[in-house]
Order: sequence, then structure tokens, then C-alpha cells
Amino acid sequence: MINQMRQSTLQTLGLGSVLEIFQNGKLPVSASELVDQVFGKACNRGALVISGANGIVGSGKTMQFASRLVPYGVPVIALDFPGVPDGIAKHYPGLIRVFGKDNANKIMGNIINISYDGKSLPEVLSAYNPKFLLEAIPEILDIKKEHYRIFRAKFPGIDIWSVTSGFPRSALGVGISHPAFPHEVNKIWEIVEPKPSNSTKLLWALGLIPMPVSDNWSFVLDVLFCGLTLAGTRFCEATNMPFWKTDKYIRKFFGPNPFRAHDAIGAAGANFLTWSCLHHLSKHYGELFTPTATLDEKKDGKQNWYPLNHLRPIVDWSMTNEETEEFHTWILGSLFQMTSLMLHEKRTHLSQMNLIGELCAQFRHGIVATIRSYGAANVRKIVGDYHKLHPAAAKKAWHPEVFDNINTPEWQQLYVNAEHDGNAGVISINREIYNHDVNAELNRAIDWLKSAGIKNVIVTGDFHLSTQMLGADTTDFFPAIENEAKGVELSNSWSATARRLNNDFKTSVGVINGKRCLGGFLELMMHCHYIVAEENAVLGMPEVTLPVVPGMEACHWPFRKVKQEDYANLLKLLLTGKPVKAKESVGWLTDYTGTMEEAIKMAWKIATGAEHGLKKREVAEEKLKNIPKELAGLKDTGDAMMDNARKAIIECISISCNVPLSEAISVQSKYSGNFMTTKLFKKGAIGSAYTKTWIV
Amino acid sequence: MKEIKSMFPNARIPYGTWGSSYFPAWQTSSLAEVNIGQFAGEAMANILGKRKVPARKLEYLVIGSTIPYHWKFWNAPFLSNCLGHRLPGFHVEQACATGLTSVIQAGSEVNAGSYDTVGVLTFDRTSDSPAGVFPERRSYRRTEVLADVWDNFGFDPATGGAMIATAGQSARKYKIDRSEVDELTYLRYKQYFDAKNSGFLNRVLFPFDILNVQGRLVGKVDDDYGVRQITLSGLKEMRELDTCVTTGTQTHASDGMATILVTSPEKAKELSPKPDIDIQFIAKVDVCALPGFMSESPGLAVKKLLQMTGLTMDDIVVAKNHNPFAVNDAIFSKIMNYDWRKMNKTGCSLVWGHPQGPTLTRILMESLEEAVDLGGGYVLIFGCAAGDVGTAGIFKVS
Repeated sequence: MINQMRQSTLQTLGLGSVLEIFQNGKLPVSASELVDQVFGKACNRGALVISGANGIVGSGKTMQFASRLVPYGVPVIALDFPGVPDGIAKHYPGLIRVFGKDNANKIMGNIINISYDGKSLPEVLSAYNPKFLLEAIPEILDIKKEHYRIFRAKFPGIDIWSVTSGFPRSALGVGISHPAFPHEVNKIWEIVEPKPSNSTKLLWALGLIPMPVSDNWSFVLDVLFCGLTLAGTRFCEATNMPFWKTDKYIRKFFGPNPFRAHDAIGAAGANFLTWSCLHHLSKHYGELFTPTATLDEKKDGKQNWYPLNHLRPIVDWSMTNEETEEFHTWILGSLFQMTSLMLHEKRTHLSQMNLIGELCAQFRHGIVATIRSYGAANVRKIVGDYHKLHPAAAKKAWHPEVFDNINTPEWQQLYVNAEHDGNAGVISINREIYNHDVNAELNRAIDWLKSAGIKNVIVTGDFHLSTQMLGADTTDFFPAIENEAKGVELSNSWSATARRLNNDFKTSVGVINGKRCLGGFLELMMHCHYIVAEENAVLGMPEVTLPVVPGMEACHWPFRKVKQEDYANLLKLLLTGKPVKAKESVGWLTDYTGTMEEAIKMAWKIATGAEHGLKKREVAEEKLKNIPKELAGLKDTGDAMMDNARKAIIECISISCNVPLSEAISVQSKYSGNFMTTKLFKKGAIGSAYTKTWIV
Repeated sequence: MKEIKSMFPNARIPYGTWGSSYFPAWQTSSLAEVNIGQFAGEAMANILGKRKVPARKLEYLVIGSTIPYHWKFWNAPFLSNCLGHRLPGFHVEQACATGLTSVIQAGSEVNAGSYDTVGVLTFDRTSDSPAGVFPERRSYRRTEVLADVWDNFGFDPATGGAMIATAGQSARKYKIDRSEVDELTYLRYKQYFDAKNSGFLNRVLFPFDILNVQGRLVGKVDDDYGVRQITLSGLKEMRELDTCVTTGTQTHASDGMATILVTSPEKAKELSPKPDIDIQFIAKVDVCALPGFMSESPGLAVKKLLQMTGLTMDDIVVAKNHNPFAVNDAIFSKIMNYDWRKMNKTGCSLVWGHPQGPTLTRILMESLEEAVDLGGGYVLIFGCAAGDVGTAGIFKVS
């Protein structure tokens, strides 16, 4: 019997819950077995065909699949018209950067380019035994349908997915896998199918992030991103504020810069896709989505949104408080209403809807988290105010009742879930960077497990939406730049949460199941009684490079768990910013590393009290002695910022280790908070990002 | 108020949709460093935004500027691109008469029914005058280079004289007394600073932050830079450059822009924050004085305009003019038998400078604001322009 705070997103893929992974001691499926099922056994392996393979989507996805399917001997057929510009070769330098030249050559060698005339399929295709077609041809329904027809006629059993940017499955008659930009690296796919297929599970097994969504017009990402663009143009049209400045305000308050993004993607194509998405949505959902005159013009004129270089803006724009409020009403009112529609249609798991915005559209906080932070009453008021500005939007597609459930765990635990079987619990985190929302949800998850009497817990990534743990969300540091107290408070509260993993459970196990665990997330894991990691995971404390002084107790906590001879390893980690492989950190940072399956098994043994053979490293509560003031052999970098950051971190280590554990939290928090007000911090990456995005 | 037939019964100026930059003296602000056309387009968008008028409401643009600027060839489409909404339009120009004529041109377009909403965008940058290179086969140098601002100020090809000489010559003709001109100038500065200190100018003038190419603040244009408090004794001590003309009793070159809308009566009600205020076009005229007598031309224009309309100066509730030389006002008083103390109550271009294109536009909007404060009435604006031109127009605020 598994008790859950809410449904795991993994369950939407038919892959069970995170707790079940630990109970079963292995991942729910493997790539090799799914490759067999989708492409046939090795003796009769079929091919993946990507049509429109030289386009932006097609070429990106050709790279993504070719690199992942090479080990399984699945060839990727890149199908396109003769004479189209080669969109695949330009990815070669990127492949070399990521995989090295030899592997890049192997990947390119796994791509077979075949031309066709769009009317009939070349005979040579049969030789590759196509099993799966990923269609990435232009967004014209009749052409797509004809394309499917000729494939089905020639290869009756072929499975087909479209990467369409807006058509529903019911209109296309094939499965839909809508990928997010940039296509060669973004792992997220919105999948439309009646129930999770083996193909979808294969995506997951290959390290991609499929998210099941309902069969409605357009996709969650497109509603959010195109909707934001639309809202931006409405604001521009109402106030005359130029696109570039509106973009900066949108970036400041919400994260994305939609107009710049259109230019970066390529305005001619992106303008059309945005317009097309909104046009189709407006046909079904009314004026809320009707493209503005600006969008009509941008679609037809194919013009960039930002001014040409020789017309860089002369007049700056600012907003009064009243104008800022109106700006928020235009943007948020529109987005909130659009989200109400998606919630009404139950388009996808709330965590997925929330993270699609963050991972694919650069939202600083997902739209569901944003709605939650405003509260249902305020959201309804903002949409009401928006309707005063844009009365036509009120006629359709507004579902205020969906916010009635805002206090349920589905809303309240967007990033952190908890499960237990009455004995051991699992806390799974699906956000790759730690922020105030994760912190609050983590506390609620701990409270929930404790209230159920759970004494042993595993803390881990969620095996789905989060493929790594990248550290703290540095935008949460911005308020601290001008206000030391904010920084101290942040450091204090996050550290207090981390300490609960040490203090509130009999046994806690941090499981590093992704590619990386860095910075704040590694500090969080350090507070667990044990750290178990996949052996090739990369662990690091890159704070010194930003620079920032670690704020979640990395300057003293790990020192309290090791022998003096291991201090140098920790100092190296903290002062160089260079990461280590997990398997090289056993004994001084981690407690066990192994293959993913071994790590899963070990974590479960520890959490369930089974014999595991590991010795718990206790946390020294007294002052530490002989903490070195420097790292032997570490030379100045010649970079004044880095060298001064090292001095600050060394000083923080020194003073926070030189007090008892009970005092160290406030000592470290004060130091870390104070550092965020220094010139050194302001000149660094976080300070620069603050200046760039917040000083608008 | 006498009822006079409007010259454009189908056109209105929607109250409260106008705005102007400050007019910093030449070389005193960051406006000296920018393409003034681009600035004007962007500033117009900003002003209209603050006035709650979407640029997309505009259908046509009348442009008034007199000094060439980069990409002037493209005119309306270029400037309106900077405004954020591409428009057709037309450029008009006649030195300092430009601002008034631009508004009249817009009124004509609306009155004819061509458009419902026309934007008037006037601007000039006197700083760093552009220079033209003209093949001139009949000159001994064969090719002439002309600094557009200062060479033209200094030389009227019709008379061979400088602008300043027309003021001195007119002063002598009307036997103007230097002390009267000094006192008049002193009052004009007082009028300006009184209006400024009262907050009146904030209803018309908009501050702007100017960006460099990196997008960083390069300067603020938030004052009529170069305008200083003066004393009567200081004026009296100044050396006379020509009859009744000193550096204190003439204006200075400056940079700036001003924008105003002209619409159908229905659109005026839709766009104005105070739709009950009605602003109509009554009449407008231009005259040319005898060569070298520019300073009397405004009086001659007003005289003709009043004869045309049947109005008298007693019917005028606000009189305001472009007066690059203080002597202009003294001469106007003599021609019209009108006390110069009753004019220019909120300031004038003698004080805040002379960017040519937008000068009379700013004067018009200040006059209309003043008339609204006074409960309405006929507004007379007038001024002189290079070539001994006088221009005058009457608007009715009710």
C-alpha cells in the first residue's frame, strides 16, 4: 500500500511511482527492451524515419535520436525534398563538442539521408525496414494527411508521430509528440495518445522527458509561450511601449523574453507559428487568443521584433506604479485565463503544466506556481481587471472555478512529492534548481511524512522531470543584493530546511540519480545521513566561480562529517569550483556509489533498515580544530574575482567551523548574506544577471 | 464669444493628447548626439502612450522639420516606424512657420475626409548642424558647402542679410526703444518661470531618458537647458548687436520635438481625456513682409487674419507667439495697438529657444492649455519665419 501526497508524474507514463522504483530495486523499464519492442529485435531491427529532417525541428530531433539510438543499432533515416538546405550537417560541430569527434562521427554515420518528391516513397526506404515515422513537415493539414497515407500504404504497420505545433490528434489521425525548442537539446515532448505507448516509454528510457497531454488544440507550451507573446503585443498596442522594452519588463517580472526569442529562432518562421497557433486557438476559444494586428503584420511582414542595429533605441521607457500594475494585468490576466482553460480541460498533470513553462519557455516560476502564489481570489480579480481592458476576452474560455482546488496537494506540491509505504518514505524533487517554492514544498513533504510517523526517508530526483540537480535558483538571491537581511534570512531558512533531513528522521538517504548534483542541491543532500549516488554523477560546488559564498552550510557541515585528512578534498571542491565524479568522492562526500540499479537497491536497504554495511558518518557538534587556512598547492588564478571569492569562502569556512554546530547556522548565514551585498558579488555572474534583468 | 465659421468644420484637436519634449539649448543635452528624427518618432510613441492614445489609432502623419536629419529621405514611414506603427504621411517645411502649418495641413486632411486621425510630428536639432555639399556651377568655387543652421541664419539669399539684421532694421522702422525691449524681455522670462514654477508646463512637456547604443542612459532631457534667470539690470548692460537686439533679447538655437493630433469630431471625443472640450480650427494666414523686415511680419499676419475673420484683439483670450527677437513683440504692439504684457503669459520661444520645426507646435499646445484654464475662447498664435514670413492662426476652445 503506497500513500502519496499526490500522483507522481511518472505514473502518467504508466511507469509507476518513485517509491516503487526503490521498492522494486530497479528502473521500471529499460531502453534495450523497449527498442526491441518498437524497432524489432536486433536480428530484424527496423529504422526510425524523420521526414522534414532538414528543418529546424527535424534536424534537431535527428540529432537527438541518432545520438541515443546508435548503441542500439537503430538507423535514423533523414527524409527530405531534394535540394533543400542541409540542416543536419550544421549540428556536427555541436556533436563534437558534446560527444567528441569519434562518437560524433559514429552518430553522423547512423544518419542516412534520403530524398523524396513528396508524392511517393523511394524504394530504397524499404531496405531499412521503417518501423517508426516522426513527421516534421510543414503545418498544412492536407499535406500531412497525404504524407501519412503514402507511408501507411507502403509500410502498413508503421507507427507515426507528428511533431505538429498545433493540430490535435483527432484532426491528424496519428500520435503527437510535440517537442520544445531548442530541438537538439531540449528533452521535453508533449505526447498525445490514448494511453502511454512503448514509444513514449522509450523516450523516457532514452533520457528524454515525455509528458502526456490531452488532445486539444495547441499544446501547453504553445498556449503559454504564444499566449505570452500575444499578451505582450496587446500591452504594446495599448501603451505604445516598444517591443524591446516590453520584452525587458516581461523578462524582469516573469522570465521569458518572447520577442527576442522570436528573433533568435528566426522571426519569419516563428512569427508564423505563433500566429498560426493563436489563430487556431481563437477559432475554438474566442477572442482571448485572437492574434493582434501586430501579430498579423509580423506574420505577413516576417519582420524582426527588435530594432535593427542602426536603429537601436534612443528613448528609454519606464513605468509608474500604476502603469506597472496595468502591465501585470495585461500579461498575467491573459495568462491566468489561458491557464484556467488548460486546467479546465485537464490538459496534463499540474506539475508538468507548471514545469513546461519553466523548462521550455523560460518562465522564472511556472504558471501554476505563480497562480498559487497570488491565491485564487487575487487571480480572479486580476482576470476581472484584464477583462475591463479587453472585454472581448471575457466572452469565452474563462473558468474561474478551477482555482477552487488551489489548496489541494496537487497545487501545493508542484515540485516536491512525498510517498511512503508505512515504513519508509521517499521525497522526490522535480525542479532542477532549488528555490523558495521547493524549500516550502520540501518542508510540507517532511511534515506530511512525519505526521504519518515515517522515520526513514529517501530524498531524490523524481526520475522524470528532473534529470539533474543544478543548485540554487540564483534569481532568489536578487532581493538580497540590496538588502543584507534578505540574504541572511534566505540562507537561514534554506539551511534550516536542510537540517530537518538530519534532525527529523532516524535515517535519511540522499540519492543522486541524475547527471549532476551541484551547489545548493549538493548542500541539501549533505544534510542526509547517507549520500548514495549513481557512480558517474558529477558533484560540485561551483559557487566560487559565480562568486557566492555557499549559503546552505557547505562551509562547515561536510567538514563536521569527515576526518581531518579529508579536509583537503572538501577545500578543493569549494575553492576550485571543479566537480568530481561521484565514484571518486566515496568516504568524504558520498557514502556509496554504483550503477543506477545498485544505487537504488542500496538506498532502499538503508531506508528500510536492511543490512547495508555502511557506517554512518556522524556530524561533529563541537568546534572543529585544525581547519586549514589555505589549500596546499592551490595557486592564485590571476583572476581577482575568483581569488577574492576564495578568500571569502576560506574565511567563512574558518569562522563557521570555529563555532559549535548550534551556532554555525547563523554564522554561515550572516556571512553568506553579507557577501551578497559586496561589490565582488555584484560584479559577478549573479550580480550581472541582476543588473541585466532587474534594472530595467 | 463671437461665432466665426471654422476653416475646417470637420476637424478637431482632441484636448490633452499632445505633448512636447523640453527644448534644451543647442549643444547642452544628449539630444545633440542622436538622430532627431528617430528620437522624435520614439518620443511621440511615448507621449501618446502616456496620453493613453494607441499609436495604432493614427492613420497618417504630417511631419514638420526644417533641418535635414539622417534618413530624412524616408520621412513618414521611417519616423512612424520609430513610433511603432508604420504610416503614410507628408513632410512640410517653412522655417519657423512649420509647426503651425503642419497642424493646419493635418486639419485639411481630416476635414477633407481622407483620415479620421492624423498625427502631427514636428522636430528639429540645431546642434551639430548638418552640412550640404551643393554643386553650384555659377559660383566661383563651383561647389558650395552649407552648414544648414548657421549659414542660413547668417545669410538670406534674397537680401544678402543675416537674420539678426531684420530685427534691427524693423526696430528702426518702428522706432522701438531699447529700454522697452529690455523690460519686455525681463517680463517674458518672469512669465516663463512663473508658469514653470506653477507646474503649468508639466501639462505639456515630457521628460525623456536618452540611451546610447549600448542601451545605457546617456542623459536626461528634463528641462529647457540653457534658460537662466535674468535681471533687468543685466539685460540693460548687454552690448547691442543691432538696434534693440542683444544676446539677452534674442532667442537661442535649441533641440526638441512636439506632437499633436488632429481628428474628426467623433474621434476627438473618443481620444481626449476630456471629451467635453472642443477645439476647432478658425483661420490661418501667412504673409511676407518687405525684404529684411521679418520682425514686423507677425503683426502684419495677425492684422490680416483679424480682418479675414472679423475678430479683434479684444476677442482673443490667449495670444502667444514665436518671438526670436523681443523686438517682435514691441513692434506687434505698435501695429495692433495691443499691450505686450497681455501676451505670452506662460512663456515663449524668446525664452525657451528655437528648434524651428516644433516651436509653434509647442506654442499652440501651451496656448490651448491656457485657454482651457480660462474657460475657453479664441486662441491666437503667430510668429515670424525666415524670409520675412509672418504666420498666424486662430483656434477656438469651448
